[in-house]
Amino acid sequence: MTDTMDPAPTFSVTPPLEPIRSTRRVRFLDDDQLVRLQEATLTVLEDVGVRFPNDASLRILGDSGCGVDVATQVVRFPRDVVRRAMALAPRSYTLGARNPAFDLVLEEGTSYFTTDGCGVAVIDPDTGLERPSRKEDVARMARVADSLPSIGFMWPTVSAQDCGATSQLHEMDAAYTNTVKHFQGMVMGEAAARFAVEMATVVAGSREALRDRPAFSNLICSIAPLAQDHAGLESALVMAEAGIPVGFLSMPTLGTTAPSTSAGAFVVGDAEVISGIVLLQLAYPGTPVFHSIMKAHADPRTGAYVGYSIDSGIARYAPVEIAHHWGVPSLAACFGTDSTAAGTWLAASDVALDPLLGGLAGPELVTGLGLDRTYTLLYPEGIFLDNELYQRARHSLMRMEIDDETLALDVIANVGSGGHYLAEEHTRKHMRTSLKRGLEHDLVNGRYRDPIEVARERAAWVRANHHPEPLETAKAVELTRILDAARASMG
Amino acid sequence: MLDDGQLADLRAATLEILETVGVHVPSERVRREYEAHGALVDHASRVVRLLPDLVLSAVARAPRTYTMGGRTPDFDLLLDGSALYVATDGCGIRVVDRETGRVRASTTADVADMARVSDALPAVGFYWPIVSASDHPATAPVHELLASYRNTVKHVQTETVMGARMAGHAVEMARVLAGSEAAMRQRPPLSSLICAISPLAQDDEGMEAALVFAEAGVPVGIMSMANCGSTGPATIAGNLAQGDAEIIAALVLVQLVHPGAPVFHSMMPGVMDPRTGGFLTTSMSGEAAYGAGVEMAHAWGVPTLAGVFGTDALEPGGWQVAAESAVNLTLCGLLGAETGSGMGLLDACTLLVHEQLVLDADLHERVRMDLARLDTTPAAMALDVIREVGPRGHYLYQPHTREGLRAMRFSSLTGRRAPDGTVVEPRDVARATVDRLLLEHHPEPLDERVAAELARIVAAADAEAVADGGGGGA
Repeated sequence: MTDTMDPAPTFSVTPPLEPIRSTRRVRFLDDDQLVRLQEATLTVLEDVGVRFPNDASLRILGDSGCGVDVATQVVRFPRDVVRRAMALAPRSYTLGARNPAFDLVLEEGTSYFTTDGCGVAVIDPDTGLERPSRKEDVARMARVADSLPSIGFMWPTVSAQDCGATSQLHEMDAAYTNTVKHFQGMVMGEAAARFAVEMATVVAGSREALRDRPAFSNLICSIAPLAQDHAGLESALVMAEAGIPVGFLSMPTLGTTAPSTSAGAFVVGDAEVISGIVLLQLAYPGTPVFHSIMKAHADPRTGAYVGYSIDSGIARYAPVEIAHHWGVPSLAACFGTDSTAAGTWLAASDVALDPLLGGLAGPELVTGLGLDRTYTLLYPEGIFLDNELYQRARHSLMRMEIDDETLALDVIANVGSGGHYLAEEHTRKHMRTSLKRGLEHDLVNGRYRDPIEVARERAAWVRANHHPEPLETAKAVELTRILDAARASMG
Repeated sequence: MLDDGQLADLRAATLEILETVGVHVPSERVRREYEAHGALVDHASRVVRLLPDLVLSAVARAPRTYTMGGRTPDFDLLLDGSALYVATDGCGIRVVDRETGRVRASTTADVADMARVSDALPAVGFYWPIVSASDHPATAPVHELLASYRNTVKHVQTETVMGARMAGHAVEMARVLAGSEAAMRQRPPLSSLICAISPLAQDDEGMEAALVFAEAGVPVGIMSMANCGSTGPATIAGNLAQGDAEIIAALVLVQLVHPGAPVFHSMMPGVMDPRTGGFLTTSMSGEAAYGAGVEMAHAWGVPTLAGVFGTDALEPGGWQVAAESAVNLTLCGLLGAETGSGMGLLDACTLLVHEQLVLDADLHERVRMDLARLDTTPAAMALDVIREVGPRGHYLYQPHTREGLRAMRFSSLTGRRAPDGTVVEPRDVARATVDRLLLEHHPEPLDERVAAELARIVAAADAEAVADGGGGGA
């Protein structure tokens, strides 16, 4: 008998994704402003240029009609080359997941959020003390990401600092063995990139499957102002060759690495991102790419990096429109408070509007729930608090149900004036869904509990109980073999 | 938030409720007014029903835009949808005392203190007496007005003046402040908010006050606080339809009796917690109702007072307060709400902790800047500066940087460090801000003659209350 019964699942079910879907839009830039910004980017690319400290890139760009100054490594881009190359980039494509039910189709109107990354410090969930981050933290956060419907894909939330030069590959391993969702890494350098492609191929099953439903995407940071990173370019070219989506991210800081005006910083950032995308389209036409600008400020008193300013909305979501104006998907910046601790007024006031404005701007990909202290510090409860803000925004942007059942005119007539609805069957039927309880609605002895405490409990529960479907043993063994090989060759 | 079809469905539901169910009107005087203007009145059950044509023709008389006057014209508020003006919350009943840290009943002095703090904060567009002048139990509303007018030059909106007689005193105060009857009608320094009683009932004193205000040209708003599941249907749409019917029934009366009187529509629904029966001002599922209320007001062709702050949190300056406050303010700002209220109170609008108003003002500033237009002029694009710096330089030496950094806006509450380098909590900065403002900020005083006249009106109200046996208070 027991042979014919389905065995009980030995792993936790990953709940279906709940991306923010909204048909409503906020325009941060009007058409005229978008044209002017794009024209300014083209002018900077043509007149000022971008530094490409990488021979292969210089060769590709030079062969395609760009002006290359070998001595300075600065490349100037004729505008027709830029326009021709950008026309090759796909507007829509799919990011694959280990489990196809969690594939992400990148199209406007659906925004998938990720965990934040890549922090360096952790509040240890056992001791409560701060320590450097380790691979086990990445694995723990992969399980948390797997358990939350708000998380569409996974970034290495913190760095696997205990894994030396191959930390980026170990972060991939920790993710693939602990979540069925898509993983986006920040792998740099040719050697690491080739190992990463090999790992992603193992997870996908074949090179063709990887190209069809890439279970990995990679994010490359440029160096403001107007320079690319050698290791980043190496990695981008390896990834693009394998069909892995590559995003370019510029992080211009107003007043230090960019002009002190937002529009000027966007121009610098856009020129950096577009120069990288043009390189990939010239090298591998049609390669899937995405565009990201995350503007920050220098505190004029200290020079310190400040992620949130008073005008964060424009700073974070105007670039979504810039990306879409170029015809490529956007990775927008949400969350990542400057608060030094989780659960403070600042930790909510910095980020509370992010998922709402992000959803209204319509980016396809959005960072990143879960870190404090400007993307550097992981508190166990942080992502659960951010998740609460995410769900609040998601519900606000849902279409309201208005029909005969929800208008309830017969019930209103029945109750009339001066009565109450407590005894109505309609109330019994709908009350369970009319109030969606959040962290702040957990009642004990008639009193609402502190939402921070509730978030901590949820973190502990997931840590103890959520164990997603494991990676097939053969694939896990293969990943370990690749990691061993990487350690042997990269140190 | 709602498409045209949904707005039409909601409007049809409101008209059907008003025609077939009606509203309970306890005041005979008010019922007679309804009857005289064509409503279907059942005096025995005190229910008034309104036919759709009567509703539509009455609401059509209400002005879409008008001005709420400040004590000084610089603080006039033109309600035309080009800006959202936000008021303090009200009307709390308890205060965390600044000296002792203990919770106590609120007094006139608290109304006055917070009027001064509000006067100093650009985020506060107009002032609701934030707490009750409970040291004057019988005449608290006029004492709240007196304390407000003495301590801010901004527009004041009362949500506590009830009954024809008290409203008459309030109108007299507004007339004195404005200087003349004509000036009061043109730039009324006072507006009022009257709450309906859900489901589908009116407060007799509230409606009598509304008619007095409307006659004088003082803007009147009607608010519904239907609680989804207890005093309203357990679905958000049903709760909105019922709340709208309550508001429109009252606005119709105002327009029938005083055609063209300035009015506004205010939808502040809650969601019942089924385990406690309590009214939750914020919940994931209920947030959209506030934005929907803005659009419903505009579909009727009247301005709105939107629910834009308000938190169920008990502690000031914590995660929950900020988490619950930001979304509605942004949504209602995007939807073109003319006015909103709710800054500065905790515990479902009942508890004043002074620094919360400063913290809320910081959130307001963030939203205001988020929704501002990006500057893409050539100076802001800075192509000449980008050319000069080129790849891999830095911008620290550029004159453009110096100018830009000076113009940059940072929160006044965050990023502060103590001399030892430790971060100063925003709540502590906010508390120090309140202390400083109460020490230093003294708005332009009332003209002496006006001040004396206002005091005389309030004294008269006190004397009346004593004569009635109610007592004039402290």
